[in-house]
Formats: sequence, C-alpha cells, structure tokens
Amino acid sequence: MTPAQLHLDLDNKLATASGSWRLIQLDKIETAAPNATEANLSSPVVLDGGQIDNLDPSGAYCLISRLTAQGIAPEAVQTTGFSSQHQAIFDLVREHYAASLRQNETSLWQRGRVLLRRLQRVERFMLESVRLIGVLGTETAQLLRHPGRFRYREFTNQIEAVFVSAIPLIALMMFLLGIVFAYLLGHQAMQYGANIFVVDGTTLAVCRELSPVLVAILVAGRSGSAITAQIGTMKFDEELDALRVMGLSPYQVLIIPRILALVCTLPLLVFVGDVTGILGSMLVASRQLGIQPAEFITRMMSELDLPTVIIGLSKAPIFALFIGLIASEGGLHVEHSARSIGASTTVTVVRSIVAVIGINALIAITLVRLDI
Amino acid sequence: MPATDAVTAARPIVVETRHIVTQLGKQTIHQGVSLSVRQGEIAALIGGSGTGKSVLLKVLCGLLRPADGSARLFDTDIWVTDNETRQMVRQRFGMLFQDGALFSSLTVEQNVAAPLREHTRLPTAACLRLARLKLSMVGLEAAAARKMPDELSGGMRKRAALARALALDPELLFLDEPTSGLDPVSARSFDQLLRTLRDNLGLTVLLITHDLDSLLALADQVIVLAQGKVLGSGTLSDIQQLQDPWLKAYFSSHPANHTLPTSTREDTHGQ
Repeated sequence: MTPAQLHLDLDNKLATASGSWRLIQLDKIETAAPNATEANLSSPVVLDGGQIDNLDPSGAYCLISRLTAQGIAPEAVQTTGFSSQHQAIFDLVREHYAASLRQNETSLWQRGRVLLRRLQRVERFMLESVRLIGVLGTETAQLLRHPGRFRYREFTNQIEAVFVSAIPLIALMMFLLGIVFAYLLGHQAMQYGANIFVVDGTTLAVCRELSPVLVAILVAGRSGSAITAQIGTMKFDEELDALRVMGLSPYQVLIIPRILALVCTLPLLVFVGDVTGILGSMLVASRQLGIQPAEFITRMMSELDLPTVIIGLSKAPIFALFIGLIASEGGLHVEHSARSIGASTTVTVVRSIVAVIGINALIAITLVRLDI
Repeated sequence: MPATDAVTAARPIVVETRHIVTQLGKQTIHQGVSLSVRQGEIAALIGGSGTGKSVLLKVLCGLLRPADGSARLFDTDIWVTDNETRQMVRQRFGMLFQDGALFSSLTVEQNVAAPLREHTRLPTAACLRLARLKLSMVGLEAAAARKMPDELSGGMRKRAALARALALDPELLFLDEPTSGLDPVSARSFDQLLRTLRDNLGLTVLLITHDLDSLLALADQVIVLAQGKVLGSGTLSDIQQLQDPWLKAYFSSHPANHTLPTSTREDTHGQ
C-alpha cells in the first residue's frame, strides 16, 4: 500500500492527495492550530483526490486536519478528481469536522465537578435517610393501627434468610475466633502463671465486644448487601411501582419486615456467637493451659456477670436497625442502570460496617462514662 | 435506492454462510443455514422469535462456534482461520448490540474512542476527536458526548452504540434489532441514518429486525429464517410471494401491506 501523501502548492492554491488514507495506517492526526497570518485562510484551494487509492472516514479526517493545520479551512477546499465513493466520504466527514474540535474541559474544572458530585451524593444520602426514617415511622404507625396488614410470611422468610441460614457461618467464625483469641492470650498469660485469667479475658471480650461487632459486620456483608440487591433489583424492574399501583406500600410489604427480621434476629446470632466463641476458648484452655472445662465454667460463672452479656446482646438490635436502614436506603436509590445495583450494594456494605464500628465506639465510651 | 440487479451481482460477496448447524446444549438451533450478502447491500434477517436470528449473528461475529458449516466474512472462514487473521477480520466489521452494550463506566465519547485506543497507534486526544466525529455523524450533539450512557435516552444510546460500531471504519455492520424499543419517529430517523451512512460510506449491513417499517425502508435483500433453515431470500416482493403462515401473518400485521412496497419505501424516504 502506498503511504498517504499530501502535496501542497500554496502559490497555485493546489493540493494533491495520493496514496492510501486509512485508519490502520494513521499514527497521528494534525492538531496544530492554523497559522492565522497565512493569507490563504479562506481563499479556495483545489484539492485533487484523483490519486487516492483508499479513503475511509478517519483518513478523510486526517486529510482535512492536515489541510486545516496549513491554514486552509475545510469549507474553502474545492475537491476535484475524487471517485464518487471517496467524494461521499470526504463530504460527510467535512460536514461533521467542526463538531469534533470541541475543546476538552480543563482537568481542574472536571475535578471540581467530580468533587461537587460527591458532595451532592452525601447531601442526598443524608436527606434521603431522614426521609426514609420519617416514612418508616408513619408506615410503622399505620401497621400498629392495622396489625393485620403486617406481612408475616415475608417476615418469617426473612428470618430464615437472615438468621437460620447464617447460624453455621457465625458459629464457625466465632468458634475459630475464640480459639485464636484464647491461644494468643494464653500464650502471654502462661509466662506470668496467670492461666486462669484467660477465662476472664476471653469470656468478657467475646460477650461484650467481639461477638456483637463481628457478627454485626458479618450480617452487614451477608444480609445488608442482599437486602440492597433485592430491593434494588425490584426498583430497577419497576416492581416497587407495580406494588404502589396495586395500592400496596413497598415499605410495609418489603422494607419493614426486613428491618424487623434483622432487629429480632441479630441478638440471637450474637448469642450463638457468644456460645461458640466461649466453646472455642474452652477448647484451647483445656489443651494449652490445663484448665479443665468444669473449672473454666466455674470461673466463668463467678467472673462473667449478667450485665456484660446483656450489654453485648442489646447492642445487636441497634446495629441491626442501622444495617437495615442503610441497606433499604441503598436499595431504594438504585438508578436506572444495572451498574448502580452493584455500586449500591458495595456502598451499603461499606456504610454499614463503618456505622457498626462507629456506633460501637460511641456505646463503649458512653458506658465507660456511666461506669457500667 | 437499491442498486440494480446487474450492478449488485458484480459486487463481491462479503458475508457468506454455508450449511451452518448450531447447537445450544441439546437444542439444535440451525439445521443448515446458507445465505450470502454482497458488498453495499442492506440485508435484513427476519423470522419469528426463537428461530435463531441472534444466534446466527453471534456465529458470524465470532462469538459462538457452529457445530458444522462455514461462516465466511471477506472470504475468510472465521471459524477455521488462525487467531491473528480472525482478529484482522474483527476489525473490519462493527456490531451494534440490541441494548447498545455501551460500557457503563465510560462516557459516551470514551466508549466510542475505546476501540480506537485499543487497535490504533493514535494518541488519546486524536482518538477522542475521531470519536466526536463519529458521534456527530450519527447525529448526536456535542453535549451528549460527555454524558454517561445511562444519562441518555434509548434512541440516543442506540446512536452512540452505532458510533462505537463505526469507530474503526468497518466495511461491514451487524445490527441486532436496531430500532427495537424506539418510538416510531426515532426508529424512522434511525433507518434514515443507516441509509445515509450506507450510501456515503459504502457499508454492507446485515440486520435483524422485527420492524416492518425499517424492512420496507431499508432492505435490499430479505432473508427469512424458519425451523432452523432459510425459508427464502430475495427482494421484499419475492418474499411476499412465499406461502408461509408466519410470513402471511407478519406482512398482514402492517397497515401498508395493501399498498405496493415501492410506494411505501418512497413515503418513508421522503420524511
């Protein structure tokens, strides 16, 4: 293939293009600004295309931009000798040439827009959360007045999804965590002959902090994301609108049962975590530290008081409420694209984990100040 | 206007399949599909749902290997040749997917520039300029180029997807239901656009359509698929002669079926 060539004879206002002008042969496109001092800016130049072998739109574009860089405006080109097919391509590209030249926005402005969009998203999240809480309040009040409207079926289905099927996972996770925690603690305690204090340490930590927080984080990842994805898909497929048209409230049908299921079952899951975590540390205590299970339990009975366990368990519904609210909000604000379901799900998991850890810190500080 | 038969016959064949047999799982979709499309022709593939139109397009654009038969594009059997040649052939055709299949994480102009950035040596700025040229050619105004695909209406998304299909200046276009989901006005202007591009760029087009209006406005050749085979192919009036219950029902579904197809074609053209 002959290379693309453009021969300019500015004195006679004649340009001759020859060779093959095709996209695969291009490696640059002239972007130099036309030299304004050239006198031939608008006077017609005759372009002879008789020797062009191949021309595709990108090639024609390159040809025009080469001419433009020489100060020849696309409109000022008179074509001659082109084959009819090449002429049609050249004319089409010439017609749309100007549209391609729009300057890129400055990157600063673009960054500013990105920042602005982020801020708007935060603002919208806050406003929508407040709105959601308000709507849920009124809808719950309605349900209390007409308890018959409560979706028991949906509620029990959700309990199965959130609670029953999560038990093995939670049990395994907390059992392993109990083992690791007791092992590391025991390793230190043995050096001081303080083996028995491992019982105090593990049971307190598991019941008060580890189990509530870790179970809540796991549920946020497992059930929070599921709620966002389910409600988001329903929103995307206009199922929520279909419900509204039937005179049903999506909040009552879908969201309240889900949040309630979370609030009811998270304490139970935390309790499962408490028990299995303690079992794990009991195993390590008997193998590594020589504390027999009976001795372990006696010590635990005297050291682990009921308020500690209750504090741990009563944090769970608070976490559950926040996970439920964040997940529902995420699902309700899926936009009209499949991508936004995925994005919302990720956001839900991140937000709920941050919320769980933040709330936990707040509760811990409050309780210390209150001397509980 | 379609070229006369004498001229068309002299043109090289761009798409040719012979006895294509495809199976999806245990289900046989095609039982020997043979068709050919000549350069510069707009060929429309029609048939009831489930007759394997989209599957045939997948075979042709290299997404699904047929169990038997040959699929030749530009005289190359894409399922026999080596990877390198297949890659070369891939750059010579563009594909418009039914819902556009625009990359949702890129802006419209980045979408159109994507194939250019992958397959040419051009710098990014030049790719974006060519992308905007293509977007302007398919009738999208400058403001749309900077938007994300999900901010566009259905018709604009189809146009953006067409611009992406045209990015590498292909000689051949595959279109999967280009006018589905569009309102009649957008659909007719999309037909008009395809015709203009075909006439100006000398494209060969193979499209699937259910839209009788675009069939009347565009198709030089109509290929009917039924029961895994080509029931018939030819001009629209040839096809209307065929005795087939589905075809009869299909053509009678249109109010213009009593007028001559040529007059309908001119009506549509005049819009």
